[in-house]
Amino acid sequence: MIQPQTHLNVADNSRARELMCIREAVPNTPLERSEVITAVIISTRKELKRDNGMIIRYDDNAAVVIDQEGNPKGTQIFGAIARELRQLNFTKIVSLAPEVL
Amino acid sequence: MAVCSTTTLSIGGSVFSGQLRHWEPNESKLFQKPRSRFRWLCLNDLHLLRFRTKTLNFNPRGSLLPSLYAYGKEADDAFLSKVNEDTDEMFDDLMKKYGEVVFRKNERKSPSAELDDDTESLSFAVEMAKVASDVKAADIRVLFVKPLVYWTRFFIIATAFSRPQIDAIGSRIRDLAEKKYGKVPSGDAKPNSWTLLDFGDVVVHIFLPQQRAFYNLEEFYGNATLIELPSETQPPFHT
Repeated sequence: MIQPQTHLNVADNSRARELMCIREAVPNTPLERSEVITAVIISTRKELKRDNGMIIRYDDNAAVVIDQEGNPKGTQIFGAIARELRQLNFTKIVSLAPEVL
Repeated sequence: MAVCSTTTLSIGGSVFSGQLRHWEPNESKLFQKPRSRFRWLCLNDLHLLRFRTKTLNFNPRGSLLPSLYAYGKEADDAFLSKVNEDTDEMFDDLMKKYGEVVFRKNERKSPSAELDDDTESLSFAVEMAKVASDVKAADIRVLFVKPLVYWTRFFIIATAFSRPQIDAIGSRIRDLAEKKYGKVPSGDAKPNSWTLLDFGDVVVHIFLPQQRAFYNLEEFYGNATLIELPSETQPPFHT
């Protein structure tokens, strides 16, 4: 469960190393401060359940940095990605991922 | 924390049929090689999936280690308690014992039906590429990525030189897809320096020239087969 103050690893090759969650972003809200960046969470220690009974649980919490337009800031993503990201309109991240579960 | 489902484990709605396969995913998709090992295990009524990723070369700090556990109706807690190196030995023993068995989804279509789907998607993709070339998009590539990724069949990558052009390409592709094929894409509604239109088995990427060089998707999917486009704007094929 990612909440404000949660530290997240960064799973891409943008030059960030670690992030702290400050606010869950509602889609399409503009951000005010410039040193704050947006990121998409791609793996959580809390399980992700699917309707077919499959459960996915990662060993850490990680996120991918994206810019204001929604494009990922790095060019590579590390680790496997859950396919739910595609349904949430993050197909760009999915297309950069080495493995989609 | 075992989850006992009342039915046996199903993936994508279909039931495993007591089979096992050791599968090494296509590592050459990337030029930098992530070593990953994917094991699907299904023994009679005990269904277990284990995914283990070794540390990637370019991330020495730490690795993301997803653990994938799915329990079937006769999941035994003791069986799953020592989930470290012991399980690897256990898996190896089981493989030796039961031999090389192949996992088969019951709902998988026959090869001919799959081929029909492929040709359908191919014609759709080629049409979209033609629309893009009509709007003077540059360097259009159609990649057949089905052997590399399972979530889509074709990628169309195109370069546009301005945002209004991206907008034009996007809206034309959308209109044609809706009128002729009845497909509505998910993806970017507003033109973006990387605009993506997701039609399910065909994904269209429209880049500005700098983004195309930055993300370099063709290198990432270098092992995909390039589809020849029957048009004058076909780019010169370079390795």
